[in-house]
Formats: sequence, structure tokens, C-alpha cells
Amino acid sequence: MSKILEIFLGIVTSIGGFLDVGAIATSAEAGSSFGFHLLWAIVLGTICVIFLVEMSGRLAAVSQHTLADAVRERFGFNFYVFPLIAEVIVDFLVLGAEIGGVCIALQLLTGIDLRWWALPVAFAIWLLLWKGTFGLIENGISLFGLVTLAFVVAIFKLRPDLPALTQSLLPSLPHQDTPHYLFIAVSILGALISPYLFYFYSSGAVEDKWDKSYLGVNRAVASLGMGFGSIVSIGVLIVAAQVLQPRGITVDSYEQAALMLTQPFGYWGFILFAVSLGIACFGAALEVTLDTAYIVAQALGWNWGENLHPREAARFSSIYTVFVFSATVLILIGLDPLQLTLFSMALTAVILPTVIVPFLVLMNDRKYVGDHKNGWISNGVVVFTTILAFVLAIVAIPLEIFGG
Amino acid sequence: MHLIRDVLDNQLVDRNQRKMGKVDGIVIELRPGQPPRLAYLETGATALARRLHPRLYQWIFALERRWGKCELPYRIPWAKVRDTGIDVEIDVEAEQTPALDYERWLRNHVIKHIPGGK
Repeated sequence: MSKILEIFLGIVTSIGGFLDVGAIATSAEAGSSFGFHLLWAIVLGTICVIFLVEMSGRLAAVSQHTLADAVRERFGFNFYVFPLIAEVIVDFLVLGAEIGGVCIALQLLTGIDLRWWALPVAFAIWLLLWKGTFGLIENGISLFGLVTLAFVVAIFKLRPDLPALTQSLLPSLPHQDTPHYLFIAVSILGALISPYLFYFYSSGAVEDKWDKSYLGVNRAVASLGMGFGSIVSIGVLIVAAQVLQPRGITVDSYEQAALMLTQPFGYWGFILFAVSLGIACFGAALEVTLDTAYIVAQALGWNWGENLHPREAARFSSIYTVFVFSATVLILIGLDPLQLTLFSMALTAVILPTVIVPFLVLMNDRKYVGDHKNGWISNGVVVFTTILAFVLAIVAIPLEIFGG
Repeated sequence: MHLIRDVLDNQLVDRNQRKMGKVDGIVIELRPGQPPRLAYLETGATALARRLHPRLYQWIFALERRWGKCELPYRIPWAKVRDTGIDVEIDVEAEQTPALDYERWLRNHVIKHIPGGK
């Protein structure tokens, strides 16, 4: 396949796959509670994520190691065991939230209680992983995700106030309810800078057999894909600010968020919201499930790969099989999907430092990245993100209690 | 070669590049009056557990003895090591070693019985 086509496909799938349950919930809550004020958090998170995703791809393309492989090798198992266990726990909660998101979407469309959907949804995810290839998961599902561009179209229909928009690109403190404001800011950053993305992206680069000739593709896909993708998140925030905030609706449940597209699109807006939520969460659920199998298999050196037949990677396929069905328990016992989402996004922020710190070492180690070491800008961003991650990790839980 | 940097925790592959675990431990033999000799590479849950904590090691060991297959880590003589580049390549057939005991068991007892798993 020509490189241009790969770049194009990579960007399209990044846009289609950008939204997940966390991005939708945190952006909608931010917009409905604080108008445009939290736009800066999305922009800041996106910049961090672009740099880190580019690094995970570069690491994989140059060293032929996934991020998980490299961290275990370079830091030893006694270090890697911490991010590994933390990531599996967070993946479990996030997967529960994503499955919950698909179930809510199906409930909105059919009126059948969301708990009935949990097992069928898990089965559909499992079936795709069991039968599908990496290309199908990566490209096929994310193409459907382009329906989430409805949020971007909605911005043009709603004509938001541009000066107020540009002003909110710079961080500011609100006049009231500061803990809640900060809690949402932390959740937005947690939802955007999600560790599974880095493990997943570097595993994907190895699945797609990237080598040094893919460094340009990697840079373009990471920056343009994530950059344009974040516009969808920004769309959700702006629509929530324009439609929900003036009516005094804060997002306490997904049913309330479902109303946000009805002003620009009428009845079809409701359907569009449900379909966007369902597809975005389904795609993310596939990735999170696969990610868990990747990191466990890579940590222990098992055969892994979505392109392998399950019999060639028995332990790898057993992990995702067990994982996807056990995550439905969170929905079956009746946890509220929105609360679960916000909680898992805050927890993501807590584990972030253990995932980010290794970048600083790996991306400057010639043994791994050779001549393609980080420049001072990239290192600056990693140092900044590390500090940010530590701050988020410390404040996330207290804010959850006081502002969540 | 730097044992800890280039060998420990690296991917183990067999002569056909089949993944067969990680280098979970390195065994060095001390001999009186002679320099120490690099004897074995170890792979397996017990070797890994021993590095984390002695108690965890006892638990895993007890579990393995009761239900498991490889209570002792699988030891590969250093003479079998072919290459220590990106992966540590071993001159064996992975399918014939205890390193893949659990992989084989899952394949034959679970995966095979799920539709599409044959």
C-alpha cells in the first residue's frame, strides 16, 4: 500500500476512533457546567497525547519493540509489574464504562434496559476479536466512527460566539464551584492522555510491521490524526455549552446528554447522538480489550497478535476472552455507566506517571531509538507531561471526593 | 555483552522465531578456584515470582506443585543461546519444551473446543 494512502487511512481512523466514553462524558459535562471555559483542557491534553503517541510509534518502528516490551526490558520486571497491574485494573474499569456506553446507546434506541445488552455487546466484541484481523479492528470499525463528526457539523449549525471560544483556549479559573471545575479538568486530561493508547499504538505499529521507513507516516498520523480527532471532542463540548448550559441542564446521566444534538438536527439528532455514542464506545471497547491482552502477553513473552489464529496464541486469546466477559459484571451489578466513566478517568490520571516516566529514558536511549532520539522540544513535552501527570495523580482522588 | 541490559527480561524465541517467554532469571555457577560460569537462562512463573518477593515465590511454587505443570522454572543451558540481539534466540523447538506447557494445555483443552478455535 502506498504511504500516502496509509497516512490518509491512519488519519481517518484516528478521527473516527478519537471519541470514547470518557471523551464524550467529560466534554459534555464540561460544556454543560462551565460553557466554553474548559476548552483549554482538551487542547492541552491533545498536544501531550500527540507527542506521546508519536513517540510510541517511533519506538516501535525503530527498535521493533512495543512499549510494554521495551519498558520491561529496560527497567526490569520489578518495575514493570507496577504499571502492568495498574493498567490492567484501569483497563477493566474503562472497558466496563465503554461497554456501558454501548448499552446506553442501545437503550436509547430501543427502550430495552441497558443491563440486558451487556452480555450481547461483550459477545460481539469477543467475536470480532476471535474472528477478525488487526486491519479490520483498526480500519473497519473506526470508519463507522466518522459518524461522530456530527458533533463538528453541529458547531456550524449552532454558530457559537467566536471571541468567547478563542478566549477559553487559555486556562482560567471559574468564579464558583472551583473543585468541580478542577475535577472535570483532571477527568478531561485523564480521558485524553489515556495510557492504553500508547501501549495499543506501539503494538499496532508492530502488528502492521512498521520499520524506520514509516517514521514519516507515524509523525503524520499521530499529529494530524489526533489533532483533527480532538476537534470532535471540542465539538461535543461546544454543543453541550450551546444547547445544555442555557437550559440549566447539567449532565448527570447519558439520557440528558442525548438531548444535545436535538437542537441542531431535530429528532434525528437524538438518533445521531445514540449512534455516535454506541459506535465510539464499541470501537474503544475493542481497543481496550485488545490492549489488555497485548500488555499481559508482552509482559510475559507469550505469542501475541490479532492477526494470529487463536490456536497460535492460546494464552493471548484466552486473556481477552476472559477479560471482556468479566468486565460486563460492572454493568450487570447495576453501576451507573456515567459515574463509572468519571471514576475510571480520574483513576487513569492517578496511574499516568508510571506510564509516562519511562518515555523520558527510552526515547533518549540509543540502544532503542538509535539516531531518532527525542529532540529538546519532545523531551520538554515529556517532562511537562510528567510533572502534569504527577500533579493530576495527587489531586485526582481528593477532587473526586470534593468535586465529583 | 551486558547480562542485565541485553539478556535479562528480553524476549526468548526458538530457532523458528516462535515466542517462548521472557528471560526471567539468569543462573551463574560458582566454581572453587575458577571464574564463575554462565550456566542457564530461566523462564517461568516461579523464576519471576522469586524476583518479586520470597513469599509470592512460595505461593506460586505451592500452586504449581498442586495443580500446575512446571513447579521449577524451565532452564535453558547457555550453550543453546544463538543470538542476543533484539530477542534472545535459543536453539530449541519451543513446542517441545516445558516453556509452552500452559500454551499447549489451553490450546488443546479450551481453545480447540470453542467454535472457530481449531
